[in-house]
Amino acid sequence: MNEFAQAYLVPDGTDLQGIKDAFEGRYSVTEDEPHELIRRFYDTFDWSLYQAGTVLEELSDGSQRELIWRDLHGEAPKLAWNTDRNPGFAADLPQIPEIDRLASLVGIRRLLPLLDVHTRLISWRLLNEDGKTVARLEVEQNRYVDKGRERQGPVSVLLRLHGVKGYDDELQATARLLQEGLNLSLARAELLQEALAAAGRRPLDYSSQLDFRLDPQRRADATAKEILLHLLNTIEVNIPGTRANQDSEFLHDLRVAVRRTRSALTQIKDVFAADLVEQYKESFGWMGEFTGPVRDLDVYLLDFNAYQASLPETLRPHLEPLRDFIHAHYGAEQKALVAHLDSKRFRDLLRDWRAFLEAPVPEQSVVPNAMRPVKAVADERIWTMYKRVRKEGRAITPDSPPEDMHELRKSCKKLRYLIEFFDSLYPKQEVRQLVKLMKVLLDNLGNFQDLAVQADHLRDMAQRMREESHASTDTLLTMGVLVGHLLEHQHRAREEFAQIFATFDSEGHQALFTALFGPSKPRRKGA
Amino acid sequence: MKIIASYNIKGGVGKTATAVNLAYLSAREGNRTLIWDLDPQGAATYYFRVKPKVKGGTRALVSGHHDLDDLVKGTDFEGLDLLPADFSYRNMDLVLEDNKRPTKQLQKLLAPMAIAYDYVFLDCPPSISLVSENVFRASHALLVPMIPTTLSARTLDQLQEFLEGHDGLGKVNLMPFFSMVDRRKHLHIHLMETLPESFPTFLQASIPYASDVERMGLNRMPLPAYVPPSNPITKAYEALWAEIKAGLAKPRG
Ligand SMILES: Nc1ncnc2c1ncn2[C@@H]1O[C@H](COP(=O)(O)OP(=O)(O)OP(=O)(O)O)[C@@H](O)[C@H]1O
Ligand SMILES: [Mg+2]
Repeated sequence: MNEFAQAYLVPDGTDLQGIKDAFEGRYSVTEDEPHELIRRFYDTFDWSLYQAGTVLEELSDGSQRELIWRDLHGEAPKLAWNTDRNPGFAADLPQIPEIDRLASLVGIRRLLPLLDVHTRLISWRLLNEDGKTVARLEVEQNRYVDKGRERQGPVSVLLRLHGVKGYDDELQATARLLQEGLNLSLARAELLQEALAAAGRRPLDYSSQLDFRLDPQRRADATAKEILLHLLNTIEVNIPGTRANQDSEFLHDLRVAVRRTRSALTQIKDVFAADLVEQYKESFGWMGEFTGPVRDLDVYLLDFNAYQASLPETLRPHLEPLRDFIHAHYGAEQKALVAHLDSKRFRDLLRDWRAFLEAPVPEQSVVPNAMRPVKAVADERIWTMYKRVRKEGRAITPDSPPEDMHELRKSCKKLRYLIEFFDSLYPKQEVRQLVKLMKVLLDNLGNFQDLAVQADHLRDMAQRMREESHASTDTLLTMGVLVGHLLEHQHRAREEFAQIFATFDSEGHQALFTALFGPSKPRRKGA
Repeated sequence: MKIIASYNIKGGVGKTATAVNLAYLSAREGNRTLIWDLDPQGAATYYFRVKPKVKGGTRALVSGHHDLDDLVKGTDFEGLDLLPADFSYRNMDLVLEDNKRPTKQLQKLLAPMAIAYDYVFLDCPPSISLVSENVFRASHALLVPMIPTTLSARTLDQLQEFLEGHDGLGKVNLMPFFSMVDRRKHLHIHLMETLPESFPTFLQASIPYASDVERMGLNRMPLPAYVPPSNPITKAYEALWAEIKAGLAKPRG
């Protein structure tokens, strides 16, 4: 029946009777009982559904709740199901065909309510001389309710025109009448977008990806503040979700922003006073520390099923006590984390840091790089760090101690962050290629180090489980098998290193690094 | 997609009432349903308030000049569409005859509708003709409403003979049932007890005579859309529909 739907904006204060009267002489109009419905829109915190051009809405009319996943601006659902529970994690979604498409967008994040739209729906049918319905109109009077921010207010009135199959002429005539006769304009925005705008919210206002557009000529100190301020915003915006532990990505993103902050502070060298850098380097180090324990447990829980699947089937059940152990300790660690987030030290730190970042840079600065154009500083810093990575990497032989690998990893991370901070100053294509290259190298180094750390950590947990007499012999042995697997993987990472580094250090890649960041040739322009 | 024809050689036995009301019930339970009014008189089309007109008439339709889907009209009921009657259907036999395989044209035309519909109901004109032979070949079930009279028993015999006498029609899923039953009439009661004995596929469900059915012409909509759900005649149609679905689901030997 609804072959086609077109939405029109009805200006504030328009008399609905006037619209109805406009059909007089052509169609008679019957009005169905008005009814109320509530739409609740869901997305992950980082807008993964919206980013993919889709909308997930829960429609409830008092008697039942239906979840509908559809394209933005689209009417037809990609998926729809009745439910009596809130969508949460991907694993909570119903097992219906094609749900994987939705689940893979959601990933490991939780679907959270964005806001509600309360609708009073008035339906009109346009009847021809036979009393046959030839088109339907739905007037939607909408209000948004943003529970999280305790706000509500009106959203524009929409008039939706639905055609009836086989009555195209009537549909066209009605559309003309609405547009030309009544001067209604098509609603370009989706209801969700209208409601978000009315609520003063912007879609896609959060992403864990960095996306700076820097001015190469701007002062380095001012640019560093811009970068750090963005990172501070990311830290702050992730605090509520971390406190409530809505999903593990809040804490993860918060920690990444903290690491990036330390890196920016220390690697964009000589733009701020040295004692200030020292002070905040330490403060953000503290943040990295107190957020660590919960993250470690999160990593175990996220990987748990994969760990379990890597074991022979008969051993798998013996790993369950480990999961219980993690859950049992999770609460206490989370509580400690929240206490830190609520502490005066933490609040003062963020407040003072913000005050510093938001203050204008001094007109004159004696710090060597502060007043130089950022592009020059970026070139130098990236080039220096690149050379260090190259040197450290080339020095590694099959017999080098793990510490050398760890050092290289640290340098690589610094280099990667630097490139990511400043990528807008360089040709997009090439920079993207280098970041990908760094990622491969970092994954390898990360596996080498993290798997060893995890194996150690597992050993610690086994010890504690024994002390708390949580663990049977079978469980301890199974954890031993897991430790074995981890070390095997770690060993493999070590073996693969030479090959991966050689690729990173190929002549072509060397040339690319040099071309992008290397010291300028004599024909240097400007300056 | 299952195709269900409402057919009888005789007129005025309740074919149209059956097709319209069953199609409505089918759509109401969520099946995507189409009803094709094959009768040039267009009674079913009238019940749905649609104009009895098909672009280009029978010839354009049978020649495949239009997609069948382009000729379909949405009814006022969700999930229920109608392919209207056209006065030119009265010459459908002649148009069918012009084709290479004149008895399989309807089947061919309907095949592409399988993606859009779960059930298709054919409301047939009263006669035995090339159109009806096309209907027999296309249908998964041939509903035959019968008023319990001696004469109607004879028409069922005739139909049976016709089916057996034509290649590939012996296996048609014949589903006769009693229509417009008046329980005060002894003859009706008597025939209802005896006739099904000689027809093993005779349906148990029957539709009583009820003046509510006649009001379909005034209300111009399917009966269950204007009588309360508890109405016994609605119940009778629901029972009939349930039995037909069960019959369609059964594997046939
Ligand atoms: N169960 C019933 N009780 C009372 N009246 C009925 C019943 N079924 C049908 N009628 C009425 O009998 C008349 C004929 O019914 P209907 O049109 O359904 O029969 P038909 O077999 O399709 O006729 P035709 O052969 O003319 O197409 C109509 O007026 C209809 O309203
Ligand atoms: Mg009829």
